[in-house]
Amino acid sequence: MSTLEITKGTVVNRRQFLATTGGLLLAFSFEDNHHAAEAQGLPGTQVTGFVRIGADESITVLVGGGEMGQGIYSGLAQGVAEELMVDWETVQVGPVAAGLSWLSGGSTGIRRRLTSMRTAGAAAREMLIAAAAEQWGVLPSVCSAAHGMVTNSITSETLSYGSLAVRAAAMPVPSAPPLVPSSAFRIIGTSVARPDLPSKTDGSAIFGLDVMLPDMLFAVVKHCPVFGGTLRSTPPRPPGATHVVPLGNAVAVVATNTWQAMEAARKLEARWNFPAGYLNIDSAVIRSQAQNLIVNGPAVVAESRGDVAGAFAGAASTFQRNYYVPYLAHCCMEVLSATVHYDGETCDIYAPTQAPNAVLGAAKAVTGLPADKINVVPTFMGGGLGRKFEVDYITQALKIGMALRKPVKLMWPRPEDMQHDQYRPMALVRVRAAMDASGNITGWAARTATPSILGQRGPLPPSGVDSQAVEGLVNLSYGFGSRLIEFARHPALVPVGFWRSVGASINGFVTESAIDEIALATGADPVVLRRRLLAADPRSLAVLNAAAELGEWFSPVPPGRARGIALVWSFGSIVAEVAEISVPVAGTIKVHRVSCAVDCGMAINPNSVEAQMQGGITHGLSAALWGEVPMKAGRATTRNFSNYRVLQMRESPQVDVRIINSGAPLGGIGEPGVPPIAPALANAYARLTGRRVRSLPFFPGATMGDD
Amino acid sequence: MYRININGQDHDVDVDGETPLLWVLRDILGLTGTKYGCGIKVCAACTVLVNGEPEKSCGFSVAEAVGTSVTTIEGLSPDRSHVLQQAWIAEQVPQCGFCQSGMLLAASALMTEYPNPSDSRINDKMDNICVCGTYQRIRAAIHRAAEG
Repeated sequence: MSTLEITKGTVVNRRQFLATTGGLLLAFSFEDNHHAAEAQGLPGTQVTGFVRIGADESITVLVGGGEMGQGIYSGLAQGVAEELMVDWETVQVGPVAAGLSWLSGGSTGIRRRLTSMRTAGAAAREMLIAAAAEQWGVLPSVCSAAHGMVTNSITSETLSYGSLAVRAAAMPVPSAPPLVPSSAFRIIGTSVARPDLPSKTDGSAIFGLDVMLPDMLFAVVKHCPVFGGTLRSTPPRPPGATHVVPLGNAVAVVATNTWQAMEAARKLEARWNFPAGYLNIDSAVIRSQAQNLIVNGPAVVAESRGDVAGAFAGAASTFQRNYYVPYLAHCCMEVLSATVHYDGETCDIYAPTQAPNAVLGAAKAVTGLPADKINVVPTFMGGGLGRKFEVDYITQALKIGMALRKPVKLMWPRPEDMQHDQYRPMALVRVRAAMDASGNITGWAARTATPSILGQRGPLPPSGVDSQAVEGLVNLSYGFGSRLIEFARHPALVPVGFWRSVGASINGFVTESAIDEIALATGADPVVLRRRLLAADPRSLAVLNAAAELGEWFSPVPPGRARGIALVWSFGSIVAEVAEISVPVAGTIKVHRVSCAVDCGMAINPNSVEAQMQGGITHGLSAALWGEVPMKAGRATTRNFSNYRVLQMRESPQVDVRIINSGAPLGGIGEPGVPPIAPALANAYARLTGRRVRSLPFFPGATMGDD
Repeated sequence: MYRININGQDHDVDVDGETPLLWVLRDILGLTGTKYGCGIKVCAACTVLVNGEPEKSCGFSVAEAVGTSVTTIEGLSPDRSHVLQQAWIAEQVPQCGFCQSGMLLAASALMTEYPNPSDSRINDKMDNICVCGTYQRIRAAIHRAAEG
């Protein structure tokens, strides 16, 4: 098994494939209600994937999602291989054409598409069996498929898939081929090796930054330092540059290698117009605006159940606290980049992207070319984390490519990547709770003041609620007597976007910190309190109990340490984490271990699920301990890893993961590991030190190295 | 013109002497396995071996590289047969994979000095950043490689 080389020829078109190799090509839809596969055809826009069986015995699965480390190439291909009755090692995986791709986000890649992937594999299997039966002149029922061969059970003769592929292509496509029962799974639910990994151990994997074309030029971008600012006029070409290209809010500096372009950009003398009110883009101003919003509104109702006012009026005790989280940068290991070759009639775009279809749309809009003159080649992403949905960097690369009419690679140097991100929004959230005399929570109210990701991209629905902003506040499974959740849209002009786990990364911290505080205030054990609140939700209870058991919650804690727990629902999955910490030196936290339990319905690839939990926890720990992008004078003040510290080897805890296959509908796995770790850490810290951290990060202003 | 030795081969490159080795490797020689991550010698995605020692190639000029022997990820083995590459695959270490070239080279230098490093030795010696969070698996892969 291997990944296809990502080159211009990767995205095979149907005619080309049939002309060169011959065989069976199934195009199919990933949407749940469009399972029917169609042989030999491209039946319209619902088609988002391919299974190819070549006369040369090749078996190829082309998937519409981008691989950024989350394991989508293996997860979806496992479904095809299972049904097709082939061995995992024989399957190749690569990307489909951009126009047929989907957006990689919301942790949807596998859960929304596995069934139709499996159906496609099953349809191909049935067609191969039908072809063999026809060749032997027997009924299909006496034929069976295994290991890429069809066997005649009467004569024990065999035919390989490759030898049957051309004949199979003429067979009718079964509309409802039988699927392998879960009791007979060979590949689904097993930790098969990821096909993309070998190329990630020898430098051969091609990321966006690694695309090289003959006679290519190298561009770097220099943005207006102030958000919303614009270029006054095209600046003179600095020494060492071959071109400068104005980009509205930025300038591209082009040279014959990246270093020359960066050096030339340092000497660029650009003049900018700053927008009115830019000085209000300032962390202190933004926080005081948020404070005003959570007290005075205006706010709209996102969820209302029961009589919250009555609960507070009749409460034996009440609780009220504010929680704050800052803007965060994505800082993918691979900075933003795209390579364009435009010659006036056609346009090739090589891009690390979570949204190849959006890249195609941007290319149509910028170049005016029709879709069939545009070739989008998605590369591996050196991390996506929600930033590579956006097409700002793609649009820039297209404009540069059009200005040059030569192959050109655009790169955002790290400071540009950090200072012109679309940040995880800040939020200030007020939580109020009413308790009866037994400590039961009879009323729960939360109001968030936060900028709107969706509102920066279009009109909000009539309710005025940004669903992203209240993820992790609404639809909580806790058995509160009544609840009221409100959203107050913050007007800050800082660009905001989707950051791994989005609203749950904010509100998981808020909700799970507040629950812990209430437990401590009412003298309840935090796990026992949650068990009470989850009495009607056995699935969540099982996750809570599994994490508590794995993390030895009810066993004595080693001296000098404390444990904290949190549980968050996101993207259809439930994750609970126990963090065990100490404070070896004031101003630091040592995370000794994290015990994580996850129910995503069923783990298609348990090893990948474990990896995503380990990764999500690491990512969430960096954010909780140090992550913050302070705003000052209209700018982000973060420059590089030097003042945006992230976890290193020595801080990385042992993470143990327990997977619960509950059989519930599939949930996502790329994001749900992130949200519980910040509150688990804060809850452990409060137990250890008596100090409650309600404002993240724990240690603002952290640095690593110099720049 | 600077003559540099990369993975056992001499190359003559016509660039400014201040040019970091990273960009010579990537843009001039097409050895794109060495990655740019920060440009300030912090993230270590650009790690190469210079005379066997790990060096952050974003802050190491081509002029300094003259007369040394440089190993990049492409030179670690011709066929993914290095014990660390095998261990990396066995432990399913990479996620996005972008930092792993630097990780592998740093680990190989570490194991030259300490053939069977403890966790705390690994923690002390390897400062490469991995945003995906593969650290735990890297430790496991180094132990696996050490055990042969």
